[in-house]
Amino acid sequence: MPPLIPPSRREALRLLGAGITLAAGGCSKPVEEIVPYVRAPEQLLPGVPVRYATTLSLSGFARGVQAIAVDGRPIKIEGNPLHPASLGATDVFAEAAILDLYDPDRSRTVTERVNGIASWDMFERALSAPLASVRGAGGRGLHLVTGRVTSPTLARQIDALLRALPEAVWHVHEPIDEGNAARGAELAFGRPLRALPRLDRAETILCVGADPLGPGPDQIRLARAFSERRGDPARFGRLYVAEAALTLTGIKADARRALHPFDQPTLLAAIANALGPGLSAPELPEEARRFARAAADDLKAHEGRALVLAGPALSPEAHALAHWINARLRAPVDYIAPPDRIEGRTPASLADLAGALDRGSVTCLAILGSDPVASAPADLDLARRIERARFSVHAGLHGDETAGATHWHLPLTHELESWSDLRATDGTASVVQPLLRPLYDGRSLHEILPLFAGRTTTAGHALVRETWKDRGGGDFEGWWRRSLHDGVIEGSAAPFVDPGEPRLPVLPEIRRQEGLTVELRPDPCLWDGRFANNAWLQECPKPISKQVWGNALALSRKEAGRRGIEAGDVVRASVGGRAVEVPVVIESGIAEGVGLLTLGYGRQRAGAIGNGIGADAYGLSTQGSPFLLTGVELGRTGKTETILRTQNDVEIEGETEKLFRQIDLAALARAEPRGIGDDQPTLLSPWKGDADGHAWAMVIDTHACIGCNACVLSCQSENNVPVVGPEEIARGRMMHWLRVDLYDAGGSEAPRAGFQPVPCMHCEHAPCEPVCPVAASVHDGEGLNLQVYNRCVGTRFCEANCPYKVRRFNFFGYADGQSYANLGAESVRAQRNPNVTVRARGVMEKCTYCIQRIAGEREAAERDGREMGAVVTACQSACPTQAIRFGDLAKPGNAVAELRKDPRHYALLEELNTRPRTTYLANLRDPHPDLKEDHA
Amino acid sequence: MVQIFHPGADTVARVVLASLGAAPVLAVGLAYAVWRSPYATAQDVTREQPVPFSHEHHVGGLGLDCRYCHTSVEKAAFAGIPPTETCMSCHSQEWTNAPMLAPVRQSLAEGRPLRWNRVHNLPAYVYFNHSVHVAKGVGCSTCHGEVQTMKLMRQTVPLTMGWCLDCHRDPAPHLRPHEAVFDMTWKPPADQAAIGARFVQERHIKSPERLSECSICHR
Repeated sequence: MPPLIPPSRREALRLLGAGITLAAGGCSKPVEEIVPYVRAPEQLLPGVPVRYATTLSLSGFARGVQAIAVDGRPIKIEGNPLHPASLGATDVFAEAAILDLYDPDRSRTVTERVNGIASWDMFERALSAPLASVRGAGGRGLHLVTGRVTSPTLARQIDALLRALPEAVWHVHEPIDEGNAARGAELAFGRPLRALPRLDRAETILCVGADPLGPGPDQIRLARAFSERRGDPARFGRLYVAEAALTLTGIKADARRALHPFDQPTLLAAIANALGPGLSAPELPEEARRFARAAADDLKAHEGRALVLAGPALSPEAHALAHWINARLRAPVDYIAPPDRIEGRTPASLADLAGALDRGSVTCLAILGSDPVASAPADLDLARRIERARFSVHAGLHGDETAGATHWHLPLTHELESWSDLRATDGTASVVQPLLRPLYDGRSLHEILPLFAGRTTTAGHALVRETWKDRGGGDFEGWWRRSLHDGVIEGSAAPFVDPGEPRLPVLPEIRRQEGLTVELRPDPCLWDGRFANNAWLQECPKPISKQVWGNALALSRKEAGRRGIEAGDVVRASVGGRAVEVPVVIESGIAEGVGLLTLGYGRQRAGAIGNGIGADAYGLSTQGSPFLLTGVELGRTGKTETILRTQNDVEIEGETEKLFRQIDLAALARAEPRGIGDDQPTLLSPWKGDADGHAWAMVIDTHACIGCNACVLSCQSENNVPVVGPEEIARGRMMHWLRVDLYDAGGSEAPRAGFQPVPCMHCEHAPCEPVCPVAASVHDGEGLNLQVYNRCVGTRFCEANCPYKVRRFNFFGYADGQSYANLGAESVRAQRNPNVTVRARGVMEKCTYCIQRIAGEREAAERDGREMGAVVTACQSACPTQAIRFGDLAKPGNAVAELRKDPRHYALLEELNTRPRTTYLANLRDPHPDLKEDHA
Repeated sequence: MVQIFHPGADTVARVVLASLGAAPVLAVGLAYAVWRSPYATAQDVTREQPVPFSHEHHVGGLGLDCRYCHTSVEKAAFAGIPPTETCMSCHSQEWTNAPMLAPVRQSLAEGRPLRWNRVHNLPAYVYFNHSVHVAKGVGCSTCHGEVQTMKLMRQTVPLTMGWCLDCHRDPAPHLRPHEAVFDMTWKPPADQAAIGARFVQERHIKSPERLSECSICHR
């Protein structure tokens, strides 16, 4: 390299001249290219969205979806109405799966720990030696670790492998495993059974630590059944919830009691005793006793329509007791054989694997599609133990913590790139159908598994078809096409079985331990941590705490006060010699002596988005009690941390009732609908649409809303809403077009809360419009309040004048050039909806009522010379409880106009005379007369 | 004492002052002129293409219908650029060894798409829909000009928003009978004003106010 000397005068001038020439030459507009197909696929229309039915998994269970692709590029996930676990709706995880597909951190090639990038051939060669040794020993030394297996094809393959190598061991590790519920059913009925509670038939429900409306593979089905029944005042029933900390179910409860996990089995015993058996149980605290009495009376009075649900942190015996109570109450519960079982095979646990590793008897360890190093209880210490395997390989979407501990890592294909099949919680099977070829050099589990049987790989398509070859009664091809088209395999639901009479279990005595009890729950956004690298989910506000980009230990105000801890203090939580540093938040509705922490954070190798965000709760959990930690010590660290939240607690004395209307069921008959304020005088001329036009409006039923955030993510996915990142959130900036506000009319220890989703109100007298100096905020003939991005000069007057605070400003080019972390990568750009403008820096944006969907339907109607059909907004399509209704007020007899006459109808801030198009239906509640003070 | 200002200084000062005042006006005028000039709108710019495809030969000479290649013009927002296969459906028989067509043959043989240079380029925030315009009776030549005379494709209209709005505010003069939409030589009849007005009625074409709203073309 020549020595660095400053350029001579001549050279400087020469460089300057060259620079000017280049700059001037760069001024001409770049020529855009059109790249057509070589052979066009049949029936493909360029730029027109096409839907394909496929299936996505959550913890191994299927949720049927329709993936929307434009020009062969999947851009959006919607629910599949024919699938029993989707019913046309989605949840946050299904919505976010599309971003996972395009995640730039996905692993792309086979890697070897020492030599780095490798190939499938190299892996097969490396595998041949250990494989030969285990095959010589009938499979001894081969250990296979998978997540929950519901796929009939995978089950068939594993069964065949274990048949060929009988000494091989198959372990299943599912972090959120419902293990206690499964063991409880075995205790009660003597055989493994899965309970399917029927919330559509159960009127009086008691949840003890259970969260049926909360996140999980069955959330959509349960929430739909619950809200449909509650929509009928005659079958309203009462929901009793006793729980350690507030859940989504707790928020919908008519009677709720914060109850220490130690007291929860006792509450179940008290309910059981009211039905007869005389179990010995310790005394409950006074309020809990009254709660138990009220619940027991109500349950008994509704025999045949009453149901008791026990939570995942409760012991197997408590679950068995709940089964016993349900049998006494003739509760509407169906029982099926668990869909995640392989006939005649009981998978081993991770503890067995740890034992085998300690004995040094693991010759070949294959961890397929699971990340036990990040998500196993800390006392297993798998990261260190895996070192003792002679040969280890991990297959996954990411080079995660387990990939870091094994010798080899294989890239898996995403579910949108591979053939497979999955079963839902009720046993219904459906096919996983790829929408595009694998983006990288990955293979599916089905294609990897044969390598361990010493066979060459077969295409996943053939393997899945092989599983179902006997179906269709002679016409397999016709049956196959129909199953793919519908996204569900007809008649594949598990048959209901008669469970027989449950045994009355003996409740183990509870040893009350000093110190804090911490309940660990799956995170409502990251689930068990597998979604940690998904930026949409990281920035999705948790339904109750509204925290983003991290987790925190939630304590009640009293508990924190007793310990002298303030919100934002970082504490050192330690139990059994393990410790985790975590900030504290104060939440209402938490029982005394209890803390709440969610799993899935604190990942070290999740990727650019998820690394180092939050605290790793798995670091505290143990195999014996994965979801409940007792005797936790909290030590001060002297540090504080800003808790990033998108909604701050504000005390609005007496205004909650006005902003968020709640009605008691008894008062419903006397309730009157509240209008949008168009009877009030105004200086503005009334809104007039086109004579033959439309008048779009939305009604949101806050009673049906369970705050699950599916609408928020659906909107984000549909409308190219960018992620801003934690630093921007800390500055109070966010971009979500739709937020879900939480209102609490109760005291801090007795919540009386509800959710209110807030999109743009599309006011007929919109305060944002007259203040815009450049007319970028305008109204159209169909009543939409529009933002014209190209006119916007970024004064933000409109945002200041919007009473609903729904306008969002691009302080930076969040979507365009200044993306957070790696979100500007080419692969992420492939997710963008081509029918929605990507907003640039310096412009305002907000909810458009999915104008691209309205325009799409209008254009189709104009083209075909017909009336416009129904338009479904993205948020509406996602909602599991159909709380969001959208329609045309100008169309005679439309549902939205009818809902505006409902006695529960109200408009947000109607006194401002903004005449909003988005209005609400009030929350309903049926509080127990004897328990009223609990909610005061 | 020597005079500091010579006799012409006043004149110079006046001219400088006047031009200071005129400069912003002239600058705006210049910017506006550049903005509307073919330099910015790319009007009448003939683009080089990987294969010198001649609309003059195929449309004017052979009389191919627009829809033979632009298959989705009646069904979708995009008119569609034909896949290589469409070219080869004829050129596997005709001009099979023409050097001009080498890229087409190569594309089919190697499975690599041809990369055409876009001629009509609307900004990304404009959502134009071909199928609606065709269904309402706006003919191809209204926007694309006399394609049958062009050896290489060029854009004959400015494609500015003002140009779009001219028609959206008064569509009647440009509406044709459905059967004339793909007729490249169509000329409005003498009574177009009456016929156009009737088409506006019959085809439920929205009012000029509605058609000139932002949300019609922008999302």
